[in-house]
Amino acid sequence: MNSSNVFSTLAQGPLPQIMSSVTLYHYLVVSAAMFCIGIIGFLTRRNLIIMFLCTELMFQAAGIAFIAFSRFHMNHTGETFVIFVLTVAAAEAALALALVVLLFRRKESLDGDAWTELKG
Amino acid sequence: MPRKNVSPYLFGVIIAGVAFGMVMLGLGLKHPEAVPNYYFYIFSAIALAASLRVITHQRPVYSALYFVLTILASSGLYLILSAEFMTFALIIVYAGAILITYLFVIMLATEAPSEEQPDILTEYDRVSREPVVATLAGFILLAGLTTLFAVGLPNVRPGANLEAGDRQLAFMSRKVEPILKQAGLLKEGEKVVPIRVETTSYGMPKDGDTTLDAIKIKAVDGKERLLLRADWPPTLVLSNTEGVAFSLINNHPGAIEIAGVILLMAMLGAVVLARKKVELDEFALNTAIARQRSGSDDDLGTEGPFARPGTGEGGAV
Repeated sequence: MNSSNVFSTLAQGPLPQIMSSVTLYHYLVVSAAMFCIGIIGFLTRRNLIIMFLCTELMFQAAGIAFIAFSRFHMNHTGETFVIFVLTVAAAEAALALALVVLLFRRKESLDGDAWTELKG
Repeated sequence: MPRKNVSPYLFGVIIAGVAFGMVMLGLGLKHPEAVPNYYFYIFSAIALAASLRVITHQRPVYSALYFVLTILASSGLYLILSAEFMTFALIIVYAGAILITYLFVIMLATEAPSEEQPDILTEYDRVSREPVVATLAGFILLAGLTTLFAVGLPNVRPGANLEAGDRQLAFMSRKVEPILKQAGLLKEGEKVVPIRVETTSYGMPKDGDTTLDAIKIKAVDGKERLLLRADWPPTLVLSNTEGVAFSLINNHPGAIEIAGVILLMAMLGAVVLARKKVELDEFALNTAIARQRSGSDDDLGTEGPFARPGTGEGGAV
């Protein structure tokens, strides 16, 4: 591995040699961009369901980074961790959506701003 | 499909698609070794465009569908990174299960369209909250992240030998033995024994060498010999699913238990939450009554005062 290479390549060995020009950095930038889109969505949207959808988007961005690092180190732990990200996403979806349905039934609205009195 | 009006845009999209495909095909024929790179750019462009649509589309249902597209595109990225197991797990679990739950809730928790208003776009879906500030914050975060990646990545060292990453094969005697027997490399009574190496706490070999050099074989009389990588039959490879499964069971057995507990708690929590009876608060009550009044007055007697089409009246009253 050339230590002076600024963006260390993902290509190491027989299979990945063919993608020598796409590096780990590319994947991390895609992941960061998707994460930021998720954050922007979470801040701007007012629909509670879309806000939770944006958190799923951020989970997804983290997953891409995990898998890219897993490939980079040739270690399956990153892929294993994505399984747990999926688990947490599933649990979060179940609980958050049950809460959203409760909130909707009470106020007849999915507006996040309708619940500002919860600030405490 | 029978349709009255075929939009002229459709032809444009088809022509653009065909042209794009031909350009890709030509580039792929010219540089066949770079084809996965093209797929990386295609998939990441689709993923990012679709996720932009998720946060900009006014209708929640379309947002959820665009999210499915994001999932499919990023599973394509996973496939390029040769994480086949996670690709299909992602499609099945995320696109198949979680997003369907979202779609169900979106359809449950939106106001049903009425006769005079077949097209309801609620105010909170049309108007966003502080878009300029949020976008600015997002861009600053993106700039920070990419700068940190660019600065920090040269310090991230991959291991010493990352040829195949199949170190786990040393522990899979029940997979390796039949293959070696079939190739005639394993005599009767001989056994494959694991080669222990020091690993870090997350299952990475201490020396960073993730490629197995040789398989240790123990004969009946206790003599050990090594079968070097060059002599291996070509069918002896570690698949991605086997690697993930080995990592999951061997290196993270406790995490599986915790994941099970998390899922169980989520299930219990969802059941408890969904069973709860909800009283409409005063504001919602008034709007419900007002909507009923402004609708057709004839129905008032036949239906209950709060009976609304499309919302779950079972739990609400």
